[in-house]
Formats: sequence, C-alpha cells, structure tokens
Amino acid sequence: MTVGGLELTGITKRYGDLTAVRDLTLQVQQGELFGFVGSNGAGKTTTMRIVLGVLTPDEGQVRWRGAPMTFETRRRTGYMPEERGLYPKMRVAEQLTYLAQLHGMSAADAARSVSGWLERFGLADRAADQLLNLSHGNQQRVQLTAAVVFDPLLLVLDEPFAGLDPEAVDVMSDVLRERADTGLPVIFSSHQLDLVERLCDRVGIIQRGHLIACGTVDELRAGGPRRLWVEAPAGWPDGLPGVRLVRADGPRALLELDPSTDDQVVLRAALAVGPVREFRRDRPSLLELFREAVSGPGLDASA
Amino acid sequence: MLRLIVRREFVTRVRSRLFLIATGLLLVLVAGYIAVQALVFNRAVTTVTVGFTGQAQALAQPLKASTAGLDVRVETRTVPDLQAGENEVRSGSLDVLVSGDPVEPTVVVKDQLNPTVAAALTGLVRQGALNRAVSARGVDPAAIEAQVAAAKIDLTALSPTAAQRTQRTVAGVVVAILLYVALLVYGQLVAQGVVEEKANRIVEILLSTVRPRQLLLGKVIGIGLVGVLQLVLVGGVALVVAARTHVVSVPTIGVTAVVGGLVWFVLGFVLYALVYAAGAALVSRQEDVAAVTMPITMLIVGSYLALFWVLASPDNPVAVALTMLPPLAPVLMPARMASGDAQAWQVLLAVVLTVSTIAGLNALAARIYANSVLRIGARVRLREAWRGRQA
Repeated sequence: MTVGGLELTGITKRYGDLTAVRDLTLQVQQGELFGFVGSNGAGKTTTMRIVLGVLTPDEGQVRWRGAPMTFETRRRTGYMPEERGLYPKMRVAEQLTYLAQLHGMSAADAARSVSGWLERFGLADRAADQLLNLSHGNQQRVQLTAAVVFDPLLLVLDEPFAGLDPEAVDVMSDVLRERADTGLPVIFSSHQLDLVERLCDRVGIIQRGHLIACGTVDELRAGGPRRLWVEAPAGWPDGLPGVRLVRADGPRALLELDPSTDDQVVLRAALAVGPVREFRRDRPSLLELFREAVSGPGLDASA
Repeated sequence: MLRLIVRREFVTRVRSRLFLIATGLLLVLVAGYIAVQALVFNRAVTTVTVGFTGQAQALAQPLKASTAGLDVRVETRTVPDLQAGENEVRSGSLDVLVSGDPVEPTVVVKDQLNPTVAAALTGLVRQGALNRAVSARGVDPAAIEAQVAAAKIDLTALSPTAAQRTQRTVAGVVVAILLYVALLVYGQLVAQGVVEEKANRIVEILLSTVRPRQLLLGKVIGIGLVGVLQLVLVGGVALVVAARTHVVSVPTIGVTAVVGGLVWFVLGFVLYALVYAAGAALVSRQEDVAAVTMPITMLIVGSYLALFWVLASPDNPVAVALTMLPPLAPVLMPARMASGDAQAWQVLLAVVLTVSTIAGLNALAARIYANSVLRIGARVRLREAWRGRQA
C-alpha cells in the first residue's frame, strides 16, 4: 500500500463511559473519493473531527503521507461541518477571504480564489451581501466554497449533501469528483447511500464506533453471500442441497447459495422443472449491504 | 493569524450600525451633560458688549484686561461714530458705548450699566486721571505704576482644593459610570461573540486552522480595541467640550479622568472579557448567555454600587482596600483617581494586582474555553470544562 494519502491507525475516542470510536483504521489515497456511511451516532463526525485535529483521540494516530499529521497539514484541510456554520451577518466575499487567509493564503491569492469560486457558482453578484440574505441553496454553495477556496490538500466533509436540492447535489458531486481527480483525498459522510454508491471510489461502513466494512462497493458485494434471483415454476428449489430460499417475490425467488454450491447445478435443477424466465446474480445495493452489515455484527456483539 | 482575527472582530463591529448609533448617542450625551454643567456653572457670567469710538478706543484693551476672570465677559468693538453707536445701544446690539477723552469718557447705556463694568471703567478712568496728575507734577507715571503694581495682598488659603473638590468628584462619577457601562457592554459583546461562533458551528472550521487560545485572544483584543476607540472618541470630545465651556477650571482634572479611565478600561476589559468568554463557551445558545454570565455581571454591578460610598468616604480603609481589589478596581480606581483621592502607591498596587489576576485568568479562561467551545448542546459543567472530559 502506498503511503500517499490519509491514514488512520487504531483510532479510539472515549467520552466517559461511551466509546465513540473504537480501534478504527482506514486509508484514503490521494485522488480517492471515500464515502463514510453509518447510522446517526455511529462515530462518523467524531472520526472527522479527529482528522481535523479539532478532537484529540485517546489512542491511535492520524497520518498524512506516511508521517503523523501536523498542524500545518490540518491548516490545509478543507472542512465542512455537519451543521453548516459561517458568520450570518458577514459579507460573503469578505467571509470567504477571511477564512482563506486563516488557512494560510495571502490576501491577494485569497481574493482571487474567492472571486473565481463565486463566479463558478454564479454568486459573483452576491459577493457583497450578508450571508443571511442568501437562499438556503446559495448559502450551501458558499459553505462548500469555504472548504475548497484555499486550495486544500485534503477535503473532509460531514454530510455535505444533507438538505440540498437536486441541482445543488449535482454541483456538490461535480466539485467533489473534480477535487478528487486533481489528486486530493476526499472523505465525506452521507446518509444518501445511492449517491455514495454512484460517486465514491471506496466506502466505509461504521457502526457503534467500529469500521465494520471498508472497500469498493464491488468488494463489499463480494464479501457477502452469493444470491440468485430465479424465476421458474413454483416449488422447484425445495430440497436442493446448499440452497436456501431467502424470500419469494411472486414467481421469482431469491436464493442464497452455500459457498460450495455450484450455481450451474442450481440452474439445471430449475430447468428440469420447467422454463426459466430469469436467472441472475443478485447485486445488492449499498443500502442493502449497509442494512445487512449493520444488523449482522451488531447482533454478534450483543450475543 | 492573530492579526487577521483581531481585524475581523474590530472591523465587523466598528462597521455595524449599532456601534455607529451607540457612539453618536454617547457623544451627544456626554457633550450635553458637560454643556448643562457649564450652563449651571456659568449662569452668573453675563456678556457685555462695549462699543468704543474716537479716542476712547484706547480703553478697549485695558477694559478687557481688567475684567478678565470676573463674572462678566466683556466683548469690545469699534463703532464708526457717536450717532451710529447710540443707535446700536438703542437697538440692543450694543450694551455700552464709550466715547470721548479716555480720562473723562462719556458712557451711554440703554437703562443701566453692569456694576462690574462700571467699576472697571471707573478704575481705568481714575488711573488715567492719576497718571495725568502725576505727570503734571513732573513725575514719571510708569515708576508710580510699577510701585502700585508691586503692592499685593498676602493670601493664605486654608483649604486650597475645596473649590475643585466638586469638579473632581463629578469627573470621578462620570468616568466610573462610563467605565461601568463600557465593561458591561463590551463584556457581553465578547460573550455573544463566543456563543455566535459556537452556535453556528463556524468554530469547528476556525479551530481546524487556529488554536483556541489565539481565537480567544483575537476576539478579546479586537473587541477591546472597539471599546478603546469608542472611549477615546468620547473622552476626546468631553475634553474639548469641557475646555471650551470652562466647566473644569483645572485642565488636569479632565486629562487625569480621561487617561485614567482609558487605562482602567483596558485592564478591566481584559480581566472581565476573559471570564465572559470562558463563561460563554459553556453554553451553545444566545439565550443562555445572560444566565451563565450572571455572576460576572453581578460583580461589575457591585463595583458600581460601591462607587458612591467609596467616593463619599475617601479615607475609609475599607474603601481604600476595595478600590485596589481586582474585580472592583477597574470601576473604583479611575473614579478615585479622577476625584484626586488615590495615592500613587494605591494606583500602582491596584495595577499590579489586576495584571497578575489577568495573567492567572488568561490560563484559566483559555483552558475552559478550549475544552468547552466545541461541545455543542447542553451547558458544560465548569468542572468538566476544567478537566476536559465529558461525563
């Protein structure tokens, strides 16, 4: 594994008796768009705050390009907090310039970058307005600009898609993809799993502070049981060895196969009963994978 | 970095409409207060306009000089001729018309001559007559005048500052009230600024690039500078108005009051702002600010309540001790400095005590602030804020 991007090793964070994050290890490579999914309170925000250095972990380390992350790198990290925050009564351009300068840009570079981004989002004519006078969607664009305006080395975004209209979702997706394509590690959390599935190179599922699954969506699928959708005359799979009926959906049946079972044997058994209208590998959506992952280990842990 | 934060805090507040209105109102209030005082003080002073024509013009300067410091203000001007002068007296634009020989001038008034002006004119005329008589006997009048001028009374004032005492006390009260209000207002501004950043979560973005101590310090300095600017404006205008209206007979009273007030605003503001910031960091909503900062506000109000007793009993040892105690000193000490009761060692001790308290509070406040400012939600308990752990 190359040590180009962001690395979290054995991160643990406790709040009194509550362990918010437990022994979490993951890597995000440069140019990789990493989606962080999990229920509310699973530890996503805590993890992101630890990456930002806003929280200090009790154990473990955040590393950047192979070395412990320094304050200087953190200053070059673009961050979008879960509940957005900017100064409501400050003028848009002034506010963004201020934040860009705080992140280390010179006044001239900051002003140039701010006007470039506002131009791109069609907000150039709102630059002198107070933030609170902008529509919700435009405020979100300003918030995104605040995270990217200073040319960050790393982007960390907590729920960037929450509350966005479809158009704004597209803008946000484009910017995230584009930033990743310029070589940045981009890490974001979301509950919109279809979006994560479509957008992300890799996904991490976090549950009660544990990272219970991590990989590309295809890798996550491969890790699960093999399942087949088969449409054939009723009653045929009963008694087939290594095959379990998950559920029936009209004439279609969802079957789960033991690892040793050959799917061609199943197909022949079905054909022996009658015409087979459908026979395909089930490709669970991220949502289904998530549900399964979240319910599985959770039950194990409580057993 | 710190400079950026200070600049933002300063610029956004100075530009706000609230600041402009409040400063304007304060200026009008202070200038108006001094002007009213001046009216009360100077009610006895009347202005008498005296016109001179012909040779009598030689009396204009001596008359002004001999009435200086008396209860009339004499304004002199030249009138083209007798007729024009009389017309002016009739119409009221001149109070007195003086014409003719400076030693035996003709004085025209509408109804009666102001007694002070009458006495001064009579004195001048008698002096002229004396000079003339003396020179007629071949003696140099200048030598006589020098001898006369050398004669003086030997004055012993048994209570030299009694007359200034009232002015000094008034100056002390004005300074103390201004400081009291300024500390309350600017302390609250710091508290609101902290909660504003916490409530709208921008503090998370800021703290990813700025250390908490810097953010706290930048806020305190930036808002403090706004306060200094406002007080410098008010103090400057007060000094100018006081000088113009002669309300304060000794200029050093005003200067001591303004300079002492500014120094103590800075000390008191830093002292209280740190506590206000730490307190405000414990809560997440503007509505909770007042409750959490109540004890601090009570301290400032307490110093205001102690003010009148302290000024009334300048030699009471308890009053002297209270004046030097850090939480009360920022309001009480400048008042006693302005009233002239504070001795140098007391001022020095109060400054040393306050500065050491600030040093201690700085560490304390920074720690509480850093541990609480990211904890959104319920009010953070002080003990948790100190230890930095969530129960």
